[in-house]
Amino acid sequence: MSSRRTSEQRLSRLLVMLPWLMERESVPLSEVAERFGLSDAEVTEDLELASLCGLPPYADELIDLYIDDGVVYMGVPRVFTRPLQLTSVEAFELLVAVRAALRLPGVDRDGALVRGFDKLAAVLGEPAVSDGDVTIEIEQPPAVDELLEAVRRAEIVDIEYWSPPQDMTSPRRMVPRQVFTDRGRWYVTGIDVAIDQIRTFRIDRIVSLQRTGDFVDPSDDELPAPGEWFQDPTVTRARVRLPASLVWLIEKYPIDEIEYLTGADRADVVLPVTSEHWLARLMVRLGPAAEVVEPERWRDLGRTAAEAILGRYDSG
Amino acid sequence: MANPVERLTNLLALLLETSAPLSLHQITSELTGMYPEGVSASRGQFERDKRLLREIGVPIETEVAVGGDEAGQTRYWIDRDRYALAELDLDDDERRAVQLAVAATRSGSAPAQAALWKLGAGLAGSDAMAAASVPNPPQLTSTLAVLREAIAARSVVELGYRSLARVLEPLGLLLRNGFWYLVAIDGEHGERRTFRVDRIEGGLSIGPAGAFDRPRVDLGEAFPADPKLIAISESDSESLMTAVVRIDEPQAGLLEQHLGSSVIHRRLDDGSIEFAIEYRNLEAMRAWVLGFGPDAEVVGPDELRSEVVAWLASMVARP
Repeated sequence: MSSRRTSEQRLSRLLVMLPWLMERESVPLSEVAERFGLSDAEVTEDLELASLCGLPPYADELIDLYIDDGVVYMGVPRVFTRPLQLTSVEAFELLVAVRAALRLPGVDRDGALVRGFDKLAAVLGEPAVSDGDVTIEIEQPPAVDELLEAVRRAEIVDIEYWSPPQDMTSPRRMVPRQVFTDRGRWYVTGIDVAIDQIRTFRIDRIVSLQRTGDFVDPSDDELPAPGEWFQDPTVTRARVRLPASLVWLIEKYPIDEIEYLTGADRADVVLPVTSEHWLARLMVRLGPAAEVVEPERWRDLGRTAAEAILGRYDSG
Repeated sequence: MANPVERLTNLLALLLETSAPLSLHQITSELTGMYPEGVSASRGQFERDKRLLREIGVPIETEVAVGGDEAGQTRYWIDRDRYALAELDLDDDERRAVQLAVAATRSGSAPAQAALWKLGAGLAGSDAMAAASVPNPPQLTSTLAVLREAIAARSVVELGYRSLARVLEPLGLLLRNGFWYLVAIDGEHGERRTFRVDRIEGGLSIGPAGAFDRPRVDLGEAFPADPKLIAISESDSESLMTAVVRIDEPQAGLLEQHLGSSVIHRRLDDGSIEFAIEYRNLEAMRAWVLGFGPDAEVVGPDELRSEVVAWLASMVARP
């Protein structure tokens, strides 16, 4: 386990762990481990190493600590009493988190979040939250609030959900657990009651929503992280070749890679495809100059879909 | 040889505690047995350690000694005030709110988690009721952090974009539909332009602070969010066009929920709806209609309808 952690990771973790321990004097080992995302053994290993740290003129250890019976005890603090300053990347990540969170439904825009961040910004000599330097745009459709309410109440809801491959709506009963937004779209993740599994639905495909008045106990089940599904390596990948000028149409979807071909007027894009129907539509939008290179079985998807749409114009 | 973490911790403590800057020779003799024998071997190891400490954010100061036994040698130390995060006086609810914000938007980001620990908060977790997925791959994040520092400091930035070197006065960063954009004044043209941050070609450098006055701009207004409204190519229209597009149920209802009823041109008896959709960009308009598959049909104008038909026909006719 420990061999997979780099010296850099171990040192960085120690530099936040030590000041935190020094403020507390004694803390159960398991609490330290949980807080810093490590195993008990890893915490023990790193702290024992730190306790060896000694420099002249100190006769005894510079970092005075010992672990006894599952509890970490800290002696008189000498060095590493304060955490290391934030790096510019860390400060940026916090700023983005705060700005994005302030655009989410249900977040108090005058509350603790803004107060906390502004204290931090003042110390770092940075612009306050209200400065216009970074804007996170999150547009929120009206249905989001209703679903978020259901998440809060842990209420079962009935939805009418449109499914593009069948081009029909069907009733679903679900327990919403989280609403999230990714690349401009909103989704709701929850338990699909009929199959008792976690499913994610696109909110803009929910035709109607009814409260049932039935509630479930709040659950601690782990939810998949938003956007995780497209990183799933088991999802089939397609390689699509297209004119470079059309890359903008495809790159808003989750893609693995874009490779510009010789001369750069064409590009190969590799992307996960969870639905043939979706890929067919994409190929129609990309048009006659684009093609599916692999897998071979999908090469004709675009043409077939184009024929179906053209039929509508011919008859009209 | 000492364990690297032990050696690094000792080096860090030594540079923090020293009352005077130290040369490499003084450092290796204080840290007995931790650095290899021989000047070039110990120099190499020390340089690697110094780089690693700087990478995790430790500011290591240097000076070249003038006079004395150490004349001409570089000496090192750490300024404790620059090293340590200043006292923040965060209340518990403020710390908790920042932690929840990270959980809802940057869960899984190592630098965001590291920042939380420095603030005295715990693991972010990922159990927020409302969340946003913000795309910050590590490489992009360091570019974004540099740009943001330049914006805050009002420094001119130089960067490569579409094979050209640009000199820009950066005004702000905008995250829209999964992409980061830099809004800036292009020095050469004196015009406000927008640049996709993931397309910056490197060579990013920032100039001295306070180089220009940063006007307050509404970044969301810098360019239209709807690609249909952005004229790019010669076939695009300068003036705003309106297309009538007929869409069948149930997509018609979903689109009405999304766009509102002000764009409804006409409701038909079979439940389908004719929408009046504004556009300038022909390519984006065509792609938008085709995304509905056989459930959508361009009613007019004729040019757009023929364009869509010709597009589909050439797909069908392709060998």
